[in-house]
Amino acid sequence: MLLRLRSTFVTALGLREASVAAMILIVAAYLTYASAYFPEPRNLLNIGRQASVVGIVALGQALVIIARGIDLSVGSIIGLSAVAGAIVARETGVQGLSVPVALVAGLLCGLFNGWLYTRLRINPFIATLGTLSIARGIALLLTGGIPVTLSGFANFLGAGRIVNIPVSLILMVMLAVIFHILATRTVRGRDIFAIGDNPKAAVLAGIDLRGTRLFVFVLSGLLAGLGGIILAGNLASADPNLGMGYELDVIAAVILGGTSLSGGRGSIPGVMLGAILMALLNNAFVLLGISAYWQVVTKGLVILLAVGLDSIRRDASETD
Amino acid sequence: MSILTASGIRKSFRGNTVLHGVSLTIDAGEIIGLLGENGAGKSTFMNVLSGTLSPDAGVIQIDGSNVQFASASDGLAAGIRFIRQELSLMPSLSVAENILLGSLPKRRGFVDYTALRRRAAEILAEIGASHIDVDAEVGGLRLGEQQLVEIARAVSQRPRILIMDEPTSSLTAHEVEQFFGFVRRIAAAGTAVIFITHRLSEALSLCDRLVVLRNGTLVAERHPDEATRESLIVDMTGRASLFNYERRDDVRSQEAALEVIGASDGEGLSDISFQVQKGEVFGLFGLVGAGRTELLEMICGLRRCARGQIRVSGADAQKDRRGHLRAGVSIVPEGRKIQGIFPQHSVRWNLSAGTLRRTAKAGFISPSSEVEAMTKYRTELGIRMQDPEQLVGTLSGGNQQKVLIGRALVNDPQILLLDEPTHGVDVGAKADIYRIVRAEAAHGRTIVVASSEIDEIRAVCDRVGILSKGRLVAVLNHDGMEETAMLTHAFSHH
Repeated sequence: MLLRLRSTFVTALGLREASVAAMILIVAAYLTYASAYFPEPRNLLNIGRQASVVGIVALGQALVIIARGIDLSVGSIIGLSAVAGAIVARETGVQGLSVPVALVAGLLCGLFNGWLYTRLRINPFIATLGTLSIARGIALLLTGGIPVTLSGFANFLGAGRIVNIPVSLILMVMLAVIFHILATRTVRGRDIFAIGDNPKAAVLAGIDLRGTRLFVFVLSGLLAGLGGIILAGNLASADPNLGMGYELDVIAAVILGGTSLSGGRGSIPGVMLGAILMALLNNAFVLLGISAYWQVVTKGLVILLAVGLDSIRRDASETD
Repeated sequence: MSILTASGIRKSFRGNTVLHGVSLTIDAGEIIGLLGENGAGKSTFMNVLSGTLSPDAGVIQIDGSNVQFASASDGLAAGIRFIRQELSLMPSLSVAENILLGSLPKRRGFVDYTALRRRAAEILAEIGASHIDVDAEVGGLRLGEQQLVEIARAVSQRPRILIMDEPTSSLTAHEVEQFFGFVRRIAAAGTAVIFITHRLSEALSLCDRLVVLRNGTLVAERHPDEATRESLIVDMTGRASLFNYERRDDVRSQEAALEVIGASDGEGLSDISFQVQKGEVFGLFGLVGAGRTELLEMICGLRRCARGQIRVSGADAQKDRRGHLRAGVSIVPEGRKIQGIFPQHSVRWNLSAGTLRRTAKAGFISPSSEVEAMTKYRTELGIRMQDPEQLVGTLSGGNQQKVLIGRALVNDPQILLLDEPTHGVDVGAKADIYRIVRAEAAHGRTIVVASSEIDEIRAVCDRVGILSKGRLVAVLNHDGMEETAMLTHAFSHH
């Protein structure tokens, strides 16, 4: 019975997702025992809110990585789009403009990445490394390095609650469902997996290589823009240094969720679990009162553990 | 004198027995041809002999004493070299560096480049490949030349037993001749050679002894004088004939499905004109580098047609690949691992990749039409697999090829282009593929087959166009497909 339960659990999720889910359960079980505050709904929802920005940005990143690309610029896009939204809102006095402006800024950054990759044929690692620096620089130039205050709808996205549930968490879940359907049920989703698995075969099968690549980068930029305005809305302030280093958390969540860095393999539920695991670890360190520096070390170890276990298992199955 | 004796070798993977007690004795200076369909256990057997795999049961003796190889390096130490089909070269290093990698000549701790180049040139000359420049970057060489570099690397280590898996598959006729000269020379010098091949005529002309594996059992051991192509096919498949061409008189429908008019790509191909009728199977023959693949690429829209015209059913062709696909041109490319399959995905997924756009509703995949296509082509093409969710990478070469043909057919194309459709495919699957090609043509589909095998052209094609250095030099009817005539035309611009 237990065995059957285990095997249905594994088939429903896939092996890698199952191992991340198991890690989440282990950490959660330990925290329940170690901290009385952990299982309280207020804390759990807080974890969900913390997971939401990484989770939302990771949705776009996952598609990029499945298509055999990588987007290192998401952290800087978060900063630039938050700043752009806040400045336009301040200058025009219309606070409602901050969200659409941030989204458009993110989209344009994604378009720029896609253009560098598909038209100038710059390797995505290099192209987005360039954008990482350019976007951050523009954010600093626009603000002179000083944070811009923000209110209105952005605040609601970042800090608001509906029936006590954080708005950003609801948004993440809705987007995850939409992206899961996109990835598994639509032709566009198939195209993304196909160009990641074998780009030459994809061209012969009539798949639009350029268009699909452009699509995933634009989507990744757009979601980073959304992530930026949520993050700034939560703090009621757009700091030009916002989102610095976020690309690592996002890529870590994507890889933890079982996405192959060499493309062609990955799943949206896995990526969501990866984002939740990252947020859970952050929470654990706060609750247990351990130094934030250890947290940085541990994040690295968790990634190595999850990915290492996977490749050991894969090696074993390849040699026999 | 025997170098190596293997007796009663057994090997199974996850309960699936691949070798049922195979025994073989190898003498010094002997050239052994190892034949068998894909999946017969040839590679597994050679992996056991070379130490890459350890047998479940059985004994290997070298020079009369028992050995147990723990890994491939033990095999190397015993003087056994196995050159696989997948090359293991470093594309950005030079030819000389690749040949002597691991034993680079040194002087005062630095690489001695003069000695390196001299030594590499000597080895290339030895295997009859002195036309390859030792300073060239390996990645820029033709596949056949890379194969020769790989062989040179193995030879540089002076093996006692040299095992080669399909070494001639990408060589030109001239290179094959030079290479055979080399094999005979090292055999005369005492090296034992095991030669795995699907080309029966090569095996018959080169080898001292032919060994046939079928389903993991050694079924025949023959002297080439007492074997014929036909008898070997029976040994390998247990069936009599591969495929016989049958003339169909209804072919000439006089409706041109494909017209190529004075087409050039601005590079190798120049001024090519021919017509293919609806329901006809048209062959494209030529030596390696003649431009067969390039011509197919141009017809299917992957390569620019700089001058001239390509017309499909009387309409001017579109300018890119997707346009050609819409106009009804499908292609099964050469080199299925690199250009064809999606290895991390299932058979069903691979099959439907060509047709999603046609059956999708508002961008959403229709699962029922996927299943329908799967069931139809699984039976029609005889794809052998456990279930549709199996990863395509785990199928045999012949079945992968059938999946790719299925993917092309799902679109119901008017014109089907096949590039070396039976390259690296076993004899049984080859016959299946020929049968599929003829059946599709009989249903009115127009098929163009590019091939370097004369037998293949004669088995399936109604007419053949012969390319030589990017020019179309002749078009022959089925009656005119004499081997000498075809080769003479093919060499005419060389």
